[in-house]
Amino acid sequence: MNLDSTQRLVRSSDSSAPSCSRVGTILLVEDEPVTRTSMAARLTRLGHRVLEAGNGRVALEVARRERPDLIILDWMMPEMDGPTFCEAVRRDPLLKSSHILLMTSHDQPAQIAEGLARGADDFLSKSASKQEITARVLAGLRTSRLVRELETTSDKLESSLLLLQRKQAETEADLQSAATFVQSLLPPQGSPVHGIALVWEYQPSLTLGGDLFGVMEIDADHLGLYILDASGHGVAAALRSASLMTFLRVENMLQLLGSYDPEKVLFEANRRFPLTADGEYFTLWVGQLHLPTRSLSYASAGHPGALLSSAQSPSRWLTHPSSPLGFDPAARFGSDRVVLKPADRLFLLSDGIYEVPSPSGELWGRERFQEVIDAGKQTSLSATIASCFSAARSWQQAQHFPDDAALMGLELTGCPEGTFNG
Amino acid sequence: MDKAMVLDLSEALGRADGDRDLFLTLARLFLQESPKEAAAARAALGRQDRAGLVAAAHKLKGSVMEMCVPGLFESARRLEELGRRGEFAEASSVCADVETRLAEVHATLRDLIAGGFPS
Repeated sequence: MNLDSTQRLVRSSDSSAPSCSRVGTILLVEDEPVTRTSMAARLTRLGHRVLEAGNGRVALEVARRERPDLIILDWMMPEMDGPTFCEAVRRDPLLKSSHILLMTSHDQPAQIAEGLARGADDFLSKSASKQEITARVLAGLRTSRLVRELETTSDKLESSLLLLQRKQAETEADLQSAATFVQSLLPPQGSPVHGIALVWEYQPSLTLGGDLFGVMEIDADHLGLYILDASGHGVAAALRSASLMTFLRVENMLQLLGSYDPEKVLFEANRRFPLTADGEYFTLWVGQLHLPTRSLSYASAGHPGALLSSAQSPSRWLTHPSSPLGFDPAARFGSDRVVLKPADRLFLLSDGIYEVPSPSGELWGRERFQEVIDAGKQTSLSATIASCFSAARSWQQAQHFPDDAALMGLELTGCPEGTFNG
Repeated sequence: MDKAMVLDLSEALGRADGDRDLFLTLARLFLQESPKEAAAARAALGRQDRAGLVAAAHKLKGSVMEMCVPGLFESARRLEELGRRGEFAEASSVCADVETRLAEVHATLRDLIAGGFPS
């Protein structure tokens, strides 16, 4: 009988065999046929599926193909001995966690140490009793199963992590795409009409922001302005803001109201954007600049408002107390009027630019923001806006703002009276 | 010759978990394989081949263990050890002892196979 390079499946009919949960597939690697046949018969009697190989090289092929639960192998074998087989298994990514019992008549401590060092998990003496063989095999199978379970769990975790990372990357890409779209809705910087310079900086707290603003030419004599702030952050707030932004388009207002009168715009917006079931709402500041006279009419619905900075006098806030949109469907929002002078600067801003806490929790606040605006009168509009962001970041000692931070500046660029519309 | 003096039949059957058919299968296998290892040991001695002698004696020792033949097992173990040490002169006489004992075991096993187990 020659079984050196063969394998076989043997089934047990022994009623004393362990239950199914304790049996496994065992690869028995032994070149000596009498010992191998004896051991295979014993293992089979215990209920295990036994695969046989006559040397380490054949055993490696069988192990890769069958992934046995336990490998029992002889130390001395031709072609590839037991310790060399152990080393090969530990180097093999597919097999490296295999549980190996090295079967030997060597029982000197130095040889046992060598076997363990070269990759064996345990030893089995060839002269061991039936009880010892049974116990060591069951212990080996138990360990092997635990390792397999760990590997399976680890594989599942890794798969889940990869799936999550892929989903997150898709979500990030979607958000980035949405952010690009929202940014495209913002007014282009430069000069919206002749005689007016426009500069803004916007730092959403998340990829998508809920603070949006606009500057639109209503007709040859009028410029419309607004800044809105949606409560909350993220995608939901950004979508709601985009919806209000669409509503505030000039064509829509002219069609609905016949004008861009701030008081009427706020009244209509208040009616159409009620408080949501989740308690979300908007604050909104709307202005209309009559270019020939530089007369600015404005109204606010709970928005912290706009700051007017004049060369000859301290800056002042263009707002007065009012409730946000949607709280009272019948609410009226009174408007005010102010005449701008050449070189005046009008800043529309969200409260996120100044409601930034220091590490100790103190807010930077409107007054300090206003001081930076006043200090920047002699510098360019863009430099002043950059200074505000820089000062806010210094105050909070962080680059990232806790809320959306938007600051838009308009400057009457010193053109002679009555020439703003060219 | 008393079979019990050559091999411990009771222990050998115990190693086969009391399975007489398995024991007879192992005995036939031993009759077939052990002469090859004894011949390999003798040839290695002739070549003064330490590794070859150790391998052959080791393999023979393993199969002898399954047959529970204490005297032959001890001789095979000694032969392996002498081979490891390269003491070929003494190994030669031990090898002769192995061959003699092996012949006795073979005879005993053939009787068992032919005549069955003693009652």
